[in-house]
Amino acid sequence: MKTLILILATFFIMNPLSSYGQNLMDGQQIAENTHAKNEGVSVKRNLIMELKDKRGKMRVRKTIALRKYFGKEKRLVIFYETPSSVKGTGFLTFDYPEASKDDDQWLYLPALRKTRRISAANRGDYFLGTDLTYEDIKLETKISKDDYNYKTLKIEKIDDNDCYLIQATPKNDAIAKELGYSKAHFWVDAKLWIMRKSESWDIAGNHLKTVKISDIKIVQEIWTYHRIDVINHKTKHETVFKFENIDYKTVLSDDYFTEEALVDGL
Amino acid sequence: MKQNRVEAFFNTITIHYKIILIISSVIFLASVAFLPKLEKDTRYDAFLPAKDSVLIQRNQLKETFGLKDPMVIAIVNEKGIFNKKSLELVYTISEQLKSIPGIDPDQITSLSTENNIIGTDYGIEVEPFFELDNLTEEKALEVSKHIDDFELYQGNLVSKDKTTTLIVAEMLDSYNKEQHEVYNSLFDLVSNIKEKDHQFYLAGEGAVSGYLIKYIDEDAMRTNPFAGLVIALILIFAYRTVRGVLLPNLMVLASVGIALGLMAAFGVDFFVITNGLPVVLIAIAVADGIHILGEYYELAVKYPDYSQKELVVATMLKMWRPITITSFTTIAGFLSIALSSYMPPMIYFGIFGALGVFVALVYAFFMIPSAMMLLKPQKSKVFKSVEKVDRFGNVMLKLGNLVIKRPKTILITAIVIIVFGIGGALKLLVNEDRIKNFQDDEPIVFADQLINQKTDGTSYLDVLIETPKEEDLFKIENLQKIELLQQHIETLPFVKGSTSIVDFIKKMNQSMNENRKEFYRIPESNELVAQYFLLYSASGDPTDFDNYVDYDYKLANIRFRMNSGEYINENEVVNKAQEFINAHFKSSDFKATLSGKVAVDAHWISKLGINHFLGAIIALLVVLIVAAFSFRSLIAGVLTVIPVTISVLFLYTVMGIMNIWLAVGTSMFAAIAIGVGVDFAVHTIDRLKYFLIEEKLPITQAYHEFYKSAGRALLFNFLALAFGFSVLMTSSVPPLNQFGFLVAIAVIVSFIGSMTLLPAIILLAKPKFFINEDNNK
Repeated sequence: MKTLILILATFFIMNPLSSYGQNLMDGQQIAENTHAKNEGVSVKRNLIMELKDKRGKMRVRKTIALRKYFGKEKRLVIFYETPSSVKGTGFLTFDYPEASKDDDQWLYLPALRKTRRISAANRGDYFLGTDLTYEDIKLETKISKDDYNYKTLKIEKIDDNDCYLIQATPKNDAIAKELGYSKAHFWVDAKLWIMRKSESWDIAGNHLKTVKISDIKIVQEIWTYHRIDVINHKTKHETVFKFENIDYKTVLSDDYFTEEALVDGL
Repeated sequence: MKQNRVEAFFNTITIHYKIILIISSVIFLASVAFLPKLEKDTRYDAFLPAKDSVLIQRNQLKETFGLKDPMVIAIVNEKGIFNKKSLELVYTISEQLKSIPGIDPDQITSLSTENNIIGTDYGIEVEPFFELDNLTEEKALEVSKHIDDFELYQGNLVSKDKTTTLIVAEMLDSYNKEQHEVYNSLFDLVSNIKEKDHQFYLAGEGAVSGYLIKYIDEDAMRTNPFAGLVIALILIFAYRTVRGVLLPNLMVLASVGIALGLMAAFGVDFFVITNGLPVVLIAIAVADGIHILGEYYELAVKYPDYSQKELVVATMLKMWRPITITSFTTIAGFLSIALSSYMPPMIYFGIFGALGVFVALVYAFFMIPSAMMLLKPQKSKVFKSVEKVDRFGNVMLKLGNLVIKRPKTILITAIVIIVFGIGGALKLLVNEDRIKNFQDDEPIVFADQLINQKTDGTSYLDVLIETPKEEDLFKIENLQKIELLQQHIETLPFVKGSTSIVDFIKKMNQSMNENRKEFYRIPESNELVAQYFLLYSASGDPTDFDNYVDYDYKLANIRFRMNSGEYINENEVVNKAQEFINAHFKSSDFKATLSGKVAVDAHWISKLGINHFLGAIIALLVVLIVAAFSFRSLIAGVLTVIPVTISVLFLYTVMGIMNIWLAVGTSMFAAIAIGVGVDFAVHTIDRLKYFLIEEKLPITQAYHEFYKSAGRALLFNFLALAFGFSVLMTSSVPPLNQFGFLVAIAVIVSFIGSMTLLPAIILLAKPKFFINEDNNK
């Protein structure tokens, strides 16, 4: 009997599939990898936001979203097309690489014929009535390099793809408060370095959100996600972002990313 | 039933007494086993049937806009609350509330949770009024200025004199029936904070419901045993024997235990007014026992050679008829409450009260004779011989002499009472206020007064606005209608303020226009409204307006705050608001419906008055019919209801003089007073007829015999009822207190009426039912 146990134990330890034998990649490294992924210099796409409240009532907003890198600085502009009451509304943001420099944001209201600067939002604030925060939008599904301490938990399959499951805890209370999370789990695709899923918990430790990123396909040689589903477990509010007609190739003029262009539209 | 068949019936019972006792105990124990299932429900929603359309609509409104019965904490600092310490307290308490089980952590409204909408050089910014990290004395003063600029929160979050600020916490739906636990946690939280210059108060609709459960529990623990004690004392005086005290009490126990046990078994909740039921049953159920034992002891003296079985059967032969009639008249009183009421708590009070009385009757028929079979014949010290009359009998004899000498004076007095009574009935004030369920010195009463005096109040009238299409609430004309409605209703008395989506839109418009006061108005275009909301969402939460507008902008809620929870004030506002809506909002494109606590109150309390008079009339009619049939004489039937009619009319005068409202608790007094008080008249008529017609005694002698025997038993019956109901006067729940007081007075008046007015009328009118030539010999 003893011999049998010994044999089994040896086999178990030697088994390359066993987690004992596995060398999980460091969490911080995984986070870095998500930033190394090619995103194209610019992209133009239709962004449809479907917002649903806890009673199942929906608001659908169709927009055109443009994004371009100016060196390390990233600029994003969103033009609303429907509903008609907000048609022509434009949102522009300049996202500076320096952490110390606040982002600049403007909103153009056609009914007022005025562009309004929006003061730098807290990173944890909700983005235009959706369940994603400004920080989420800024990272575009990448994982922050600076905010968390990571621990790689295991490899798990999401939609049949191997993903690293990493646990993130904010480095300090100030960061936690700013982001609105006390803990998060990220599932990062082990080949594409795209996040496929995340779960987050609020400061009080209540389950806050589930984010799922899906419909990941190659578009013009770039791995691209086409859908983000977010559920806020506390408010039961849901958001779906759908991306269509994604185009990395068309060269986007710098002039689109200006206050003047907001007024003129596309 | 023929007399010999009745005799056979009671013979059978006395033979099988052991089995009957076992069955009686089993039924009792089986019912009582359900008692732990009994649930308390003190919500005011409980006063309406679940299918009531107004209630359904209100619940839909609550569901759509996430509104709940709030617990309201007031922080008062007479030196002003805009300082570092006070705001820190607001923050600390708001945060602590989030971790209290039953409190919805996302539905806490206070200065530390709400956002300010600020106009900046760029546009608008939505941010918390303050954050703990950078809170300073200067920052606190800044918050004060922000509130000056934010009309919406004045009188609502912060009192206009800036000495009081509110923290409003809502409960999770799942805690509906555990409100008292949530209340207790909050009360502990508030009581444990000690801070110089600061006082803390807890009130609000949720708190009132929560505290009421604890309050009525404690009250029941006090009044019920006390009622039992009082009854026992009366029985000791009446018979001075152990069985004379024990047997009626067993009946009482059975009546109360089975009635409440069955309530639990049928899943009927225990409401605030149900608290009065045990005491009422204790007082009523004991009466049958008093009459049976009185007869028993009289017979024991008269027939010293009888065996126990003979004594018991003879007693029951004489008593079955009057106790059946009196029980059925009392049941009629209870059932007429059930029939005339719209509100479930009263319907159940009527049904289970009737059931309790019926149980007492059944136990009087079966259990009492059986239990007596266990005992040997016994004489009571008070019944020494047929001729000897004790002190209580003597009192009644003197009363009888008075009636024979002065029948006309008695009649005139009665007529005066009737005239005053009708005047009183016409002036009866229907009113109700839930806070009046507590004694004036309760902390929650003080908190309620303070919050109502300092702020806009916590009595809410909600107005649901319905439009047909998505985004219709961006339309300027609709927003203007909402504004018009707000402006009008705010002019009504006790309405101190209101909040709607329009207030936020106006504030956004002002913020977008350099904070200039003249821009605190509805903007010019529909699109601009839509775009303001989008702009708001650039820095605010997606769920910020959930309480005021639904997600596709078709439905809106306007919440008006009143600082009075009194029905008469609420009703006036509801009526005037409805008139205004009918006159101004006729189109189907804009529908306004009144809802919320204030409208629900106005809806159901308005039924109280009509329910009350209907209940009283049904009770009188049923009692009249039962009595007329039992005595086979309409005259006797009419005579039976005269004393109780006078007793109720007398009470209207009392209520007028003492300024007692016709409210939930008091509205039931008339039917109960009629059903209970009529017993004296029934016994009086039954016995007088016996002495006059069957015994053929001359009038004076017949009256003499009546007062000596039946009069004495009725005196104890009366004392049991009067003192029993008076026990309710020791209740700390004022409505029960008043109910007990009124019924006790009614019992006194019907007893005096039955002992004086009835014999006086018979003496003067000499109806054939009672008096023929034999008596005038």
